[in-house]
Amino acid sequence: MSKHKSIYSFLIEHRELPLLGVLALLLAIVNIRVPGYLANSWLNVLKNGSINMVMCCGMLCVLLVGSIDISTTAVLAFAGAVAGKLMGLGVIQNTLLMFVLGIAIGAAIGAVNGILMSYGRVIALIVTLGTSYIVRALIPMNWLLGMNKVNPTQLTQGFKDSLINHEFLGLPFLVWLAILVVLLTALFLNYTRTGRNLYAVGSNSEAAQMRGVHLNKIRVLAHTICGASAGLAGIMWLAFYAAIEKGSATGDEMFTIAACVLGGVSVTGGYGKITGVVIGALMVAFIDSAIPQMQIGNSMITEFIKGILLLFAILLNVILQRISAKQDLAGRNI
Amino acid sequence: MKKIKDFFTSWEFFLVILLAVVCAVFYYVDASRVAAGISRRPVFYFANVVRSMRPYFLYSFMTLGMMLILAMGDIDISVGAIGTLSVVTLGVTYNNLAVLGGMNGAMALTLSLMACLAVGCICGALNGFLCTRFKELFSMIITLATQLFFRGFSYLIIGGETLTFKDPTFRSLSALNKLIDVAGIKVPVSLPVFLVFAVIFFVWLHMTGNGRKIFAIGTNRSATYYSGVQTDKIKFWCFVIAGLMSAVTGIFFVGNSSSSVKADIMDGYHMYAIAAAVLGGFSTDGGKGSVIGAAISLVIFGVVKFGLGTLFGFADSAVNLSVGVILILSVLVPNLIEDWQNARRVARRRAETAAANN
Repeated sequence: MSKHKSIYSFLIEHRELPLLGVLALLLAIVNIRVPGYLANSWLNVLKNGSINMVMCCGMLCVLLVGSIDISTTAVLAFAGAVAGKLMGLGVIQNTLLMFVLGIAIGAAIGAVNGILMSYGRVIALIVTLGTSYIVRALIPMNWLLGMNKVNPTQLTQGFKDSLINHEFLGLPFLVWLAILVVLLTALFLNYTRTGRNLYAVGSNSEAAQMRGVHLNKIRVLAHTICGASAGLAGIMWLAFYAAIEKGSATGDEMFTIAACVLGGVSVTGGYGKITGVVIGALMVAFIDSAIPQMQIGNSMITEFIKGILLLFAILLNVILQRISAKQDLAGRNI
Repeated sequence: MKKIKDFFTSWEFFLVILLAVVCAVFYYVDASRVAAGISRRPVFYFANVVRSMRPYFLYSFMTLGMMLILAMGDIDISVGAIGTLSVVTLGVTYNNLAVLGGMNGAMALTLSLMACLAVGCICGALNGFLCTRFKELFSMIITLATQLFFRGFSYLIIGGETLTFKDPTFRSLSALNKLIDVAGIKVPVSLPVFLVFAVIFFVWLHMTGNGRKIFAIGTNRSATYYSGVQTDKIKFWCFVIAGLMSAVTGIFFVGNSSSSVKADIMDGYHMYAIAAAVLGGFSTDGGKGSVIGAAISLVIFGVVKFGLGTLFGFADSAVNLSVGVILILSVLVPNLIEDWQNARRVARRRAETAAANN
């Protein structure tokens, strides 16, 4: 057997590299077609992508344990709406408290998801489908703090300014928050015992259990992290758009999952890197902003391109895996 | 004796009881409202409930398609997008043939209906092809990607605009949304059509060998494969039929939505289809469920929505809330009951062994 690995298994090991190539190619094409695109709109892309980026970090944890959460955007809307209503009623005026509250609400819903999914043995898709129905339905209810949606007038000026108008090293706090969440997730997943256990549970749950990992606790933890990140994203959404209602971000959870899958995260669990997820999320954000500027087809073509890209990304992963397995067998003369 | 016990512990029997309880509660509330003088006459009586089922039977066809997929242990979340794409095809084809091309209306409508059904089949076939060729991937992630793809495709065809048809030929589709007289009761057209489809599906799934094979695939795919069943072929055709049923749902939907077509009309419909099928006893693990259960659960959803809407004055969101709660509980409760039964069996066996040892 040759000492150096085949190019295919190298690509399998580093699934984010081809994606980086595609991203660079895409940017090059857009930049040629629309001169000065990158210089003009990189900041906008980062701003628009950061909310999705935060949710992607949580989604990564859930996908790693082989589960899925499609209630993230519902949790986003719910956490944002509850915190916004409280601010509108004058209960909370402190900006920092808003973020803490959002994370707490999201984490609570995520924990319920996780408990139902692991201890109740209900399939994650069904649980999160159900909770997304329930929390979205709760938003406009009258007994839940009155108002049926949150308007800009109900928010304090300090809160609205907090993420957009404060800058550090030329980047608004919104982007810094996303970077912070990415860094924390990277540290957690790579350098803590619990973080490595997420990978262990996802890749081989029986082996992990033999080694003494408490499967259900890890699953609940992953869902809690995902819920917390969605709650944080809800407050970021509220600070960025200054409004939130029942239908906010409907269907966007698919793009969160899409960004993760584009970034090479395996949906069967156990494989996925934070770098890949960051590139995937950037890719989705760039497609959102670049394709309309290229003026091909009608304005709705971005949906189509995102769909095709996701389809090809997941199929390419499988094909690469198959070729790599075949090469391994050929290398051992089987 | 065993058979009778099986009947009383079956999921369908539970659903019938649930339906009866829901009806009793609503009937009581309705009667007390009349007695208290809040409303002038009762609204919760049989004919009225049947009449009001109209909007809720729209996605019943989609539920039938979803049943097949769930019975095989797969899931298809692209059915709503398939419905949208076929409806958009219907609208655009008719627009090009009759409105712009000047073709005879009935002819154009027939052609575009055929195009609509064909698109449903093709989309289903794409799902089936990908799910059978790329077995490493969950069908959920494949249909997630194809959902984005189909949705994007309908946006590509029609853009953000809305096509509205005024001519009488296209408007004749709204006959699908009318009420007809059956034995003195006004019944929405979709109900008898659904019953016909449901009987066909019942005979197919529960009385033919082919139908049993679908459940066998859901129970243990490898065992079924090695016993000589062409699992891939069956799976492929089930996805095609699910796509076809989405297109049928789409046709009924156009009849309902005042003959206008746009690119997001059926977003999120897969959720209702999955919810109804899961309450009907189908599980995403596969191998379980019956057509009768799915039909009863559709009726339950219809009654709950009607009752909450008219009697309690709840808005749409409260109805969604009940859908979410029912969805989770309908999977959670059987699991808990099973756990309890297992624990009881273990305790009994322990007691028996202890007694034997003494």
